[in-house]
Amino acid sequence: MKIQIAGPGCPRCQATEQNVINACAALDLAADISHIYDVKQYAALGVRMTPAVIVDGKVVSSGRVPTVEELKKLLKPQD
Amino acid sequence: MIAEVILAGLSALKDYIATHVLTCLVPAFLLAGGIVTFVSREVILDYLGEQASKLKSFPLAAAASFFVAACSCTVIPVASGLYYGGAGIGVAFIVLWVAPATNILALVYTGSILGGGMVVSRIAAALVMAFAVGAVMTAVFRSAARPQDPPAATAVRGPIVVGERLILLGLVLVSLLAPNYVVRTGTYAYKVLVWAVLTGLVAVYAARTVPREQIRAWLRETWWFVRIIFPLLLAGVFVVGVIGKLLPESWIRTWLGGNGLQASFLATMIGAVSYFATMTEAPFVDTLMKLGMGPGPALALLLTGPGLSLPNWLAIARVFGAWKSVVYVTTIMVLGTLVGWFFGNFILVR
Repeated sequence: MKIQIAGPGCPRCQATEQNVINACAALDLAADISHIYDVKQYAALGVRMTPAVIVDGKVVSSGRVPTVEELKKLLKPQD
Repeated sequence: MIAEVILAGLSALKDYIATHVLTCLVPAFLLAGGIVTFVSREVILDYLGEQASKLKSFPLAAAASFFVAACSCTVIPVASGLYYGGAGIGVAFIVLWVAPATNILALVYTGSILGGGMVVSRIAAALVMAFAVGAVMTAVFRSAARPQDPPAATAVRGPIVVGERLILLGLVLVSLLAPNYVVRTGTYAYKVLVWAVLTGLVAVYAARTVPREQIRAWLRETWWFVRIIFPLLLAGVFVVGVIGKLLPESWIRTWLGGNGLQASFLATMIGAVSYFATMTEAPFVDTLMKLGMGPGPALALLLTGPGLSLPNWLAIARVFGAWKSVVYVTTIMVLGTLVGWFFGNFILVR
């Protein structure tokens, strides 16, 4: 699973990254987590409101800091 | 001397913060947090992205900007996202301008410090400037090649805001406006009483209609605004107090007094170059007005202060390209000067 956090480096984006890391830890999930800081790059991925969380190329949350609980639901394997 | 200057800073903090925390800042932050939580900004942006006609998309962009971002730090990603997502260049720059120049937090604070007339002028002037900026950017960059094909629309479109939440936001807005605008006379304690009653009403309505989880999300978003903006506001207001103490009154009178074109231009320049954290422009302008700045230059400074700054020019240049940044900044400076001059001479006459 590939998780990208998109944001220009604002405090809210840092908090989002932290929550994603915590959610992955809680789920015992081995994910490839990266942070995109370049506006052009994440705009091309379809992100308009930051901070955004992109899972395997799909924007799953944007414009706010998702909580660890929300992220656990979003990231949990579907099967 | 140093002690005196620090005291001036502290007294500004007391004047602009202490007396505004409960009746103005708390409801304003709650409203901003509520907009983030309850209003689906994604849907608004979807509409903006696909509106082809400028007659529709310009007013829509201006109106949406009131709600899309509540501080200038978030607006560049939003505007660039719109642009690279397929919206017109005019729309992107309208959002870039209107959101910081007239966001809801700054407007409320301006009103409770400088009065209603200044707020109405600020909104009207910002809108006029927005349409002009949109038109100029569209005209100059009409033929510019788009950077890439816009990504396919992914949105599942829902309503912008659910009816009950709209009532809730309305109630918060009333609790914000009533103590600051309706109750013009009376003591501070009376204002606090009006605020407390209305806030109680908001709390009861929220508890009855909004699920616990969403209320928690609302308060969390509100807290984010407090954490990001409040420290900047405190520091900014302190600096305002210090500057007010250090600047000789005669300078202000000479350079920023009256409503001439030159004073208006100078105010625009000051605003366009220096960085004002959102909301700090209101006490700064108030301080300068007490020292003799005319209402026209004051309006110009209110608009360009939060709307533009040197770091902001560079960020825009990095994202949109240097040429667009130059055209945008120049247009705003010309417009700001004219707007200050016009409103000072014909609208804000005292």
